[in-house]
Amino acid sequence: MTATAQPVDPATLAAHNATLEAIAAPGAWWSGPDRLAIVRAARTAPTCAFCAERDVPTLPIDGEHDNDGELPPIAVEAIHAIRNDSGRLTRRWFDDVIDMGMLPEAYVELVAVTASSVIVDTFAQGMGLDMPELPEGVGGTPTLERSDDVEDAGAWLPLAREGRANILRSLALVPSALKLFFATFGRSYYMAPDSQFALDRAQVELVAARVSAVNECFY
Amino acid sequence: MALRESVQANDEGDLDVVTGRGEGDAGVPHGAFLVDLADAVARWGWDEMPAVRQRGIALIGPKATSDAILVAAGFNGITRVADAIGIRLDSRTANASVGLRAQTGIDAFAPAEKWTA
Repeated sequence: MTATAQPVDPATLAAHNATLEAIAAPGAWWSGPDRLAIVRAARTAPTCAFCAERDVPTLPIDGEHDNDGELPPIAVEAIHAIRNDSGRLTRRWFDDVIDMGMLPEAYVELVAVTASSVIVDTFAQGMGLDMPELPEGVGGTPTLERSDDVEDAGAWLPLAREGRANILRSLALVPSALKLFFATFGRSYYMAPDSQFALDRAQVELVAARVSAVNECFY
Repeated sequence: MALRESVQANDEGDLDVVTGRGEGDAGVPHGAFLVDLADAVARWGWDEMPAVRQRGIALIGPKATSDAILVAAGFNGITRVADAIGIRLDSRTANASVGLRAQTGIDAFAPAEKWTA
């Protein structure tokens, strides 16, 4: 750990550890060890030589991502593209990911695991902490859970039928993926019951808006 | 989501700070510092962070600095969900942000190929 002069909220650390424990357990479409491999791939992405050379995420790729061979190449492509260049993903890229063998449900879970790990790792690194150690993977088979309570709302994947904003409906095809991500994100916004920011609302919104703009996220 | 909420929190004249086309506090206490912190986190500028944290501790205190990093980390995650699922603006969000989107040019982040196969 590098030196840090500031305390870290124990509730946040506990929540982020809970996220990693949840990732280590079997999911709906990926095993626990596979889900941990997704986190490791997301951690590798920033230093991936192929990603550094590539302009825009497109398929098929004419090279190989830095990876340890734990996941199918199309999964590594998706993880690295989401981690490194999500603002420039296109419908064409997504269709190619699916055409190359990724089940839509598996993709949704991969997105949730990748994005949750981005939150956990970004916070640790921002605070000057080491990225958390990953727990041991839990054995067991995926549940193959999917929701039928979804509809086409013009996104690349069906969204929940109900919901006050599309982002809150976005992962609903796989309910456990939605739960995983928003349990993690909740501490970063006003969704956790015990959220108590030492910033006022306008300050929180300014940080949120600026990060969204840097990430070129139109939403 | 974030930009929509911000337009409610700030004067329209301050929104250029959000998109980097302006400078200043955006009408928010210590806004310029918070923008610098958000930039460092969103761009994974870990080499900058020790100085950013020290500046934050001096300006807004350790808890608020930690909270700002937590918010930035969360939005580094949720922007990836929005982009990777290819969601569109819901009508509620779109209606609430027509002026904002025109002023800041954020629709440029959603080119046609985002949804065209």
